[in-house]
Amino acid sequence: MTNDRVPRVSTPAEVPAAPGEKKVSLEWIRSASVLAGVALLFIVFSALTSSFYQPANLLDILLQSSINTMIAVGMTLVVMTRGIDLSVGSVVGLSSMIAASLLPQNLLLGIAAGLLVGVVCGLVNGLLIAKLKLPDFIVTLGMLSIYRGAALIYTDGKPIYGIDPTFRAIFAGDLAGIPTPVLLALAIAFLAFLLVRYTALGEQIIAVGGNEEAGRLAGINIDRVKICVYAISGLLASFAGFVLIGRIGAAEPIGGTGFELQAIGAAVIGGASLFGGEGNPLGSLIGALTLGAMQNGLTLLNVPSFWQLVATGVVVILAVYADQATRKRQ
Amino acid sequence: MTDSLQSMQIPAVDSPRKLLLQLKGIVKEFAGVRALKGVDFDLREGEVHALMGENGAGKSTLMKIMFGVQPPDAGTIEVAGHGKVDIDDPRHALALGIGLVSQEPSLVPQLDVAQNIFLGKTEALNVVKRDQFQAKAREILKPLAPRLSVTTRVSSLGMAELQVVEIARTLARGAKIIGFDEPTSSLTPAERDGLFTLIRQLKSSGHGIIYISHRIPEVYAICDRITVLRDGKVVANRATSEVHPDELINLIAGRRLAEELQHHAKSGAGRDGPEALRLEAVSATGKLRDINLTVRAGEIFGLAGLVGSGRTELVRCIFGADRKDSGTIYVNGKPLDIQRPSDAIAAGIALIPEDRRKQALIPVMDVERNFGLANYGQYAPSGFLRLKQRRQDTERYIEEMAIRPRRAGVRIRNLSGGNQQKVIIARWLQSGARILLFDEPTRGIDVGAKFEIHELMRRLAKDGCALLVISSELPEVLALCDRVGVMREGRLVHTIDDCSGLTEDLLMKFASGEVARL
Repeated sequence: MTNDRVPRVSTPAEVPAAPGEKKVSLEWIRSASVLAGVALLFIVFSALTSSFYQPANLLDILLQSSINTMIAVGMTLVVMTRGIDLSVGSVVGLSSMIAASLLPQNLLLGIAAGLLVGVVCGLVNGLLIAKLKLPDFIVTLGMLSIYRGAALIYTDGKPIYGIDPTFRAIFAGDLAGIPTPVLLALAIAFLAFLLVRYTALGEQIIAVGGNEEAGRLAGINIDRVKICVYAISGLLASFAGFVLIGRIGAAEPIGGTGFELQAIGAAVIGGASLFGGEGNPLGSLIGALTLGAMQNGLTLLNVPSFWQLVATGVVVILAVYADQATRKRQ
Repeated sequence: MTDSLQSMQIPAVDSPRKLLLQLKGIVKEFAGVRALKGVDFDLREGEVHALMGENGAGKSTLMKIMFGVQPPDAGTIEVAGHGKVDIDDPRHALALGIGLVSQEPSLVPQLDVAQNIFLGKTEALNVVKRDQFQAKAREILKPLAPRLSVTTRVSSLGMAELQVVEIARTLARGAKIIGFDEPTSSLTPAERDGLFTLIRQLKSSGHGIIYISHRIPEVYAICDRITVLRDGKVVANRATSEVHPDELINLIAGRRLAEELQHHAKSGAGRDGPEALRLEAVSATGKLRDINLTVRAGEIFGLAGLVGSGRTELVRCIFGADRKDSGTIYVNGKPLDIQRPSDAIAAGIALIPEDRRKQALIPVMDVERNFGLANYGQYAPSGFLRLKQRRQDTERYIEEMAIRPRRAGVRIRNLSGGNQQKVIIARWLQSGARILLFDEPTRGIDVGAKFEIHELMRRLAKDGCALLVISSELPEVLALCDRVGVMREGRLVHTIDDCSGLTEDLLMKFASGEVARL
């Protein structure tokens, strides 16, 4: 045995080198193809535009991807349990509206209320899915509508202008020349990585997605694990909402519309399997950056934003196809 | 067996009949393990050919290859009228005239008999053409089960009738070669005789039958030829009349079984141990009726019975995986309210389920994490994992239990069945379990590892654990158990305190209700 006590990131070399093991090479092909895709993206955009590879633009990609990264990290944890959270975009809208409305009274109150709303939204999702055994897809699709409706009802559809400057400095400012959303996104991805690698909950998330029945028969509280991941997903969506209103300087009830697809895309590109049990929060960071870089490059090439929507959808479906093709053979 | 059974034993046919199917040099590997090592098999018209072997000998793998579920890595398959073929999938197999009647009928309960027989033909669901298909179905069923109505919903049929429908479905698609996989495992003796009559009819109409079973009397009743697989190789291919049953047992199990039986001196020590687990009037609607049972520390108590007799339901109920409706479970003399598996685990109970892949393993996780799955209380009391401690413990078990490969970081799905089972047992030993519920502990495990698992189980009993063991294999029951309970239709109908005179036939009679007591 090697002297590594540090749990290792799963690399192809770690799997036993038994002859004829196709699984290993499939996994390897999968990771390699993601990296190759990212590299290709950078090469193509760098060749076609003069500004893509400039440090300022690269930093911009990081900044633009930060919101999606935060949501995608939560989505990855949900997907790892073999679930899905379609309500994240609406949670972004609702929590940021409530935070924005309370910020004028008190900064901390606004932040606390926004985060609480995110957690409660996630808890409701999780409770319905775990306790009532309702299908995750339908529950979170219904909640997508309910939370969005709530956000619109809350201010009768009107946006809230004028976000507290301190709030904006925290969630959309700069620290030593690096935008705070980037730092926040990196911190969140890293903390989630630690959660998966070093805590019982992290392993139980993998267990629930890998084989729920086996987990249950080993005494794991499946309901608790599910409720936890949806709550975390809601919490991170509210963080993303803060960055969103911080950057815009106003809160709209329709803020965050369509974010769920971006997050699912980032999670799957980053190695989360819709079949459950596999995924890596740091991978979802890569996934979000890939999507961000693509959208940024297309913008630089003057591709209309409507076509960018199409491109995003195509990439997400391709990523899911690649996932299915490689996992099913196992 | 009855007279009619013997009368059908046609003297070994010398005039070779037409070959329907011929497999040559079939090789199949899984993750580097050779499941089949160059197997030859053939089937003639009007022949019932038994395929025998222990669990893990390669029977099911060979069947899967014949019926197109998996492709072979090497070897050829020749089908009469089609020449050499690569069978892509079960559909293709059917098109070639090869059909399988599986252990668990795969029928659609909401549809009626005729619709199930013609399942896959969309027109069969068409209201306009319904009469046509019902007439066809009646025609097919006539020789098989003339009294079975084609408009009965399948959900209301019993096990034997389901099998008939499944057979009819195979015939409807023009199968000339029909495989039966353990067809009698959930049939009563009367239903079994009905099935045999049916198989004889198929035989006389020129069909070739492949009959998989580990029940020796059945094979002598119905089969013309026997092929025995052991460790992925054919160890015998002979006419039934030329093999004595004792010899057959040796062929199937190899010499090891005899050695193990000899080696296993019945200690009877378990009888004096303190009561570890006691069930009092445990019932669960539709599954279990009034079960009373005591297992002592140091004792191995076997549970025999047909598939579906309630054995698995009983252990799941004790473990809290399913709910009981009434009755009391006592652990170490104290009544215990078990609502969910975690309650049972806290009381020192462990379940080692039959279907490891579905119920015990997290395939994507490595050996170490699978080992630690029931032990987060020890390895993460604060929520953060004590990885060093867990790694050390895993490595200790790997050494002690000779788990191969010797690496805690290997994904568990890359281990053989026997090694996976050892990891699961290690998991529960680490959790401090003293009452172990084993459901078919050596199913799908190769012969070598099987004996290691048996040895381990005996050692656990010696150390004072109480073991409740479900097994459908008599040799396993005889090799392990101090006492045996027989279940039928959700009841514990008989308890045998002395296993020395036990035979497979006797056990079957208890299990089916032919004999009430000794």
